[in-house]
Amino acid sequence: MPIIEAHGLTKTYNPDKVPVHALRGVDLTVEKGEFTAIIGPSGSGKTTLLNIIGGLDRPTEGFIKVDGTDLSTLSDNQLIDFRQKNIGFVFQSYNLIPVLNVAENTEFVMLLQKRPKAEREKRVAELLHAVGLDDKMDKRPSELSGGQQQRVAVARALAPKPSFILADEPTANLDSKSAFNLLDIMEQLNREEGITFIFSTHDSRVIERARRVISLVDGQIAKDERR
Amino acid sequence: MLLKIAWRNIWRSKTRSFVVILSIAMGVWALAFILSFSLGMTYSYIENAIRDQWSHLQVHHPKFSEDKLAKFYIPNAEEVLDSLSGIPEVQAVTPRTIISGMVSSSRGASGVEVVGVDPQMETAVTHLESEIVEGEYFSEKRKSEIILSRRTAEKLKVGLRNRVVVTFQNLDGTITSVAFRVVGLFSTGNMMFDEGRVFVKREALQEHLMSIENPAENPAQFIHEIAIFLHSTDELLPVKQRLQKSFQNLLVQDYRELSPDIELYESQIQLSNTIMITIFMLALIFGIVNTMLMAVLERYRELGMLMAIGMNKPRVFSMVVLETLFLGLVAAPLGLGLGWLTVFLLKDGGIDLSAFAKGMERFGLDTVVYPLLSPELYVQIAVAVFVTALLASLYPALKAIRLRPVEALQKV
Repeated sequence: MPIIEAHGLTKTYNPDKVPVHALRGVDLTVEKGEFTAIIGPSGSGKTTLLNIIGGLDRPTEGFIKVDGTDLSTLSDNQLIDFRQKNIGFVFQSYNLIPVLNVAENTEFVMLLQKRPKAEREKRVAELLHAVGLDDKMDKRPSELSGGQQQRVAVARALAPKPSFILADEPTANLDSKSAFNLLDIMEQLNREEGITFIFSTHDSRVIERARRVISLVDGQIAKDERR
Repeated sequence: MLLKIAWRNIWRSKTRSFVVILSIAMGVWALAFILSFSLGMTYSYIENAIRDQWSHLQVHHPKFSEDKLAKFYIPNAEEVLDSLSGIPEVQAVTPRTIISGMVSSSRGASGVEVVGVDPQMETAVTHLESEIVEGEYFSEKRKSEIILSRRTAEKLKVGLRNRVVVTFQNLDGTITSVAFRVVGLFSTGNMMFDEGRVFVKREALQEHLMSIENPAENPAQFIHEIAIFLHSTDELLPVKQRLQKSFQNLLVQDYRELSPDIELYESQIQLSNTIMITIFMLALIFGIVNTMLMAVLERYRELGMLMAIGMNKPRVFSMVVLETLFLGLVAAPLGLGLGWLTVFLLKDGGIDLSAFAKGMERFGLDTVVYPLLSPELYVQIAVAVFVTALLASLYPALKAIRLRPVEALQKV
């Protein structure tokens, strides 16, 4: 069963005034274990598509199923719980919690899920080791570089073992070295642990590494290429 | 975790948090000071009323309070006095003979309550002796001595050693006039009390009360009032109940029953305190709402991220509420501590309000007020701060949970 199944997704902003069609009938299926990049120029609908897949926004038309659940049937509060359990988010500007240290940021979603302390500590240690930050556990985000912060964001997204990770332009604010380092980590997690990654990006460094590239143009899929 | 985030969040903008904490603390301090001031005034008013006028308890003939006639004396006064001497909670008692009458001089007259006291026993219950401002307290030499208030003396235009005539009805209703020599002038500070009473020796008054038709009666039994002063006001109710049970033919009343104005005064003070607390809360609410709203709007994107990754609305709401409560939690002890310090520093000197003395004396208040903070007041203020912070947090918290993560995340 595919992890994501979307049919006829449209999203129109300001439908009553000056309508802006961000998505125009997108059909999309993502299988478990994919390493997918959604690309396209600014305004092509990448972020909108990602927001709808992540349950942060609702389509104007069409339907989307994530892990077999039709997101349109969920209330706003149910959507929050659904995101917490099923989706890991990595944002362009890291969006870590500034008052928590690296370890606390990583375990945050597990705390919301009320996972036992021992499990949380073990998972945090594993993940921070995997992203190469085991020596920075007590640092606050402000004490880390952009690349390090984004690796913490990846660790946080992975902590509750979600069905997939949605990353909105994860390398946009990183230098080349940090970007490659991050991509190495994500690729390794995908390859070795079968974690599904979906990126929106127009960063050629990410596109080169993706095994599936979906090109959006004017809110429609222009090309869906598997490598 | 929520507690940890909320606590750390309030220290993100240290200057802003310090300003709001300081403003709450100053508000709490001002409130504590005002409330302690009014509590000090209430306490001194009640203490003065007990010491100068009412004592803790008074025993009367049941009809005496309705109609202060000479015939309504306490029939078994000796027995009551004996019984009181065996009650450990009782510090002192004094029997009084009281009649309504008129005191007059060649230049004026005034309607008064003539109070016949036992000079020694009265001293143990009231401050009469120490309130003599001119002349002296009763001597042992003469029977017909009178102590007037300075106000009454001025009214009658008499001074020390002058004679005044006290006119009253004796037991069989005969108008009796007795001459007394002024030996002392007193001033309690309470104008109503001062103008309403003159003091003579009990035995002098009792003699003239005796019925001409029935002279065989023992004048010593004409006691209309037994005033009881206790070691502590806390013991008032049990002693009162015990006495009432023992002497069911008599009326035992405490100072509140005797003086409804004490209760009125207390309720007025309570009302003004409530108004002050409400004004304080309102002023504080706007300050806190403003600060918390700024804190929420500043973190709009972060709150959106928290909701995106799965922090549900009740948790976001609780976090903002907790942050506000923490501000109050830091500020309230600071303000209360300052309040305590102020009361402590003023405990010996008090606040001298002698500039307003005339107005205050008229109502039986001291010119020096010693602020007091009772544990109940600390609790009242702490609860007021808690409720204020809670109410003030609601709007910012609602604002926080109404945001849409997708929009918040796109905020720059």
